[in-house]
Amino acid sequence: MSELGDLLDDIVSDVDGTLLFSPSGSLYERFVEGGTPVVVATENAVDAGQYVELPLEFDEVRERVRFGVEGALENGFVEEGEQLVCVLALFSEDIDTVTRVRAGDFEQSGVYDLFVNSRAEPSVIRNVLEVAIELGKKGQKGKRVGALFVVGDAGKVMNKSRPLSYNPFEKSHVHVGDPIVDVMLKEFSRLDGAFVISDSGKIVSAYRYLEPAAEGVDIPKGLGARHMAAGAITMDTNAVAVVLSESDGLVRAFSGGEIILELDPEAY
Amino acid sequence: MYPTVVRAWSEGLSTSERNLFVAIVVLFLGITAGALAATLVRRLLVALGVDDAVEGTSFERTARQFGGSTIQFLSRLVGAFVFFFAALYSMRTVGLVPGEALIEETVAFLPRLFVAVFVVLVGLVVGDKAEIVVDERLRSVKLPEVTVVSTLLKLSILYVAGLIALSQLGVATAALLVLLAAYAFGVFFLGGLAFRDLLASAAAGVYLLMSEPYAIGDEVEIDGCRGIVQEIDVFVTHVEDDGEEYVVPNRKVIREGAMRVRG
Repeated sequence: MSELGDLLDDIVSDVDGTLLFSPSGSLYERFVEGGTPVVVATENAVDAGQYVELPLEFDEVRERVRFGVEGALENGFVEEGEQLVCVLALFSEDIDTVTRVRAGDFEQSGVYDLFVNSRAEPSVIRNVLEVAIELGKKGQKGKRVGALFVVGDAGKVMNKSRPLSYNPFEKSHVHVGDPIVDVMLKEFSRLDGAFVISDSGKIVSAYRYLEPAAEGVDIPKGLGARHMAAGAITMDTNAVAVVLSESDGLVRAFSGGEIILELDPEAY
Repeated sequence: MYPTVVRAWSEGLSTSERNLFVAIVVLFLGITAGALAATLVRRLLVALGVDDAVEGTSFERTARQFGGSTIQFLSRLVGAFVFFFAALYSMRTVGLVPGEALIEETVAFLPRLFVAVFVVLVGLVVGDKAEIVVDERLRSVKLPEVTVVSTLLKLSILYVAGLIALSQLGVATAALLVLLAAYAFGVFFLGGLAFRDLLASAAAGVYLLMSEPYAIGDEVEIDGCRGIVQEIDVFVTHVEDDGEEYVVPNRKVIREGAMRVRG
């Protein structure tokens, strides 16, 4: 078995930093003695000094690693071009995977920026993504549904859109993440137009027809009007858009007119 | 038939023997009544959901260390008091206690002692619970110093409970009362003074949220700040102009009025 050991040694030789994904307390203790690992987790359970908060338990390992590395770069925990080893759990609850990556090797996808540097709070974007994922999983009576949520910069978005019908959320104070939103999910899928959500997560309006300036919006061919509207509104304002596609059932997040994140609801 | 036999038997006894018999019966009745009272109280407390409410308090934890629980402790206390009364009465029947006056005084004092102990216990549990609830509420505020609030609340509750207990026992509490008054004055008056603007803003904010004279997306001018409303919460309204975001306290909206630009 010495070949295996050698292989592992090769992978972890000359690395500049370690990223621990959701480590247990004892594992973190062991690593702290040898250096300063960066902890990437949904909550800072081990009180790590260098900590990147995961807004979602990304099922896709690639997304999770990418988020962790971008977060570590953004916070200055690691430098561009450093060799990093990521320690994470892929199949089980416990750590079972070690992978090596060079910081800044893949182009910045902006997935970290999407959460942390958007106008809306990270928890709001996470909640909206969860609502979209939930809606994508359930659909309506087994049929796929589509939805468009525009998050943040609500004042500007409201000024660049018009109502399609009476706003059911007028004078209501429903926030995404409230338990009642789960109950309303089914109703959501019936409403046409976009949902407008404020920076703090208040659902400002439904039934909005977005009218942004759409010049220069470049989204992959084959995606429909909903995605085009999402791309355009995020280009025209500082909002983030979360789209549930009716045709392929994927959840996509837009920022600055580009697709930042693509998630399959079935995987969550 | 049966009662006559008992009467005949009891008439055959001497006075002291009869007293002893009555005392034993009373003692047994006391044990039964005490146990009954304890069970009733325990059922009542469980039915009221007290066992869930005290979960996690340090009093409950201490009780667990001794292999019991808060409810068990309280119900046993009630039972013990009932039994104690019975024991006192039976002792008087037998004539073990020297003076009648002592009994009278004890009987008058015992309920007060009971209430005092009860108040202290309730104060302990409620204080602990209040601390836990407030701590949980404030957990989202990531500021270590904020735990002072919950500790202060707990100590206040304990202080008031202690005050009630002491006055039940007839201890002079005038000085402590003055202290309480000064404390309450400090909290309410000075607190009110310190939070005056926040309270005024909150009152105005409730009105704004309820009747929504302007909504997110409207263009307004409040006290010289003109722009698009981005957010309304209880305390402030965020008004955004090109590159400038004004955070306007809600009390200003009520005091100065707001101008909404009709689109």
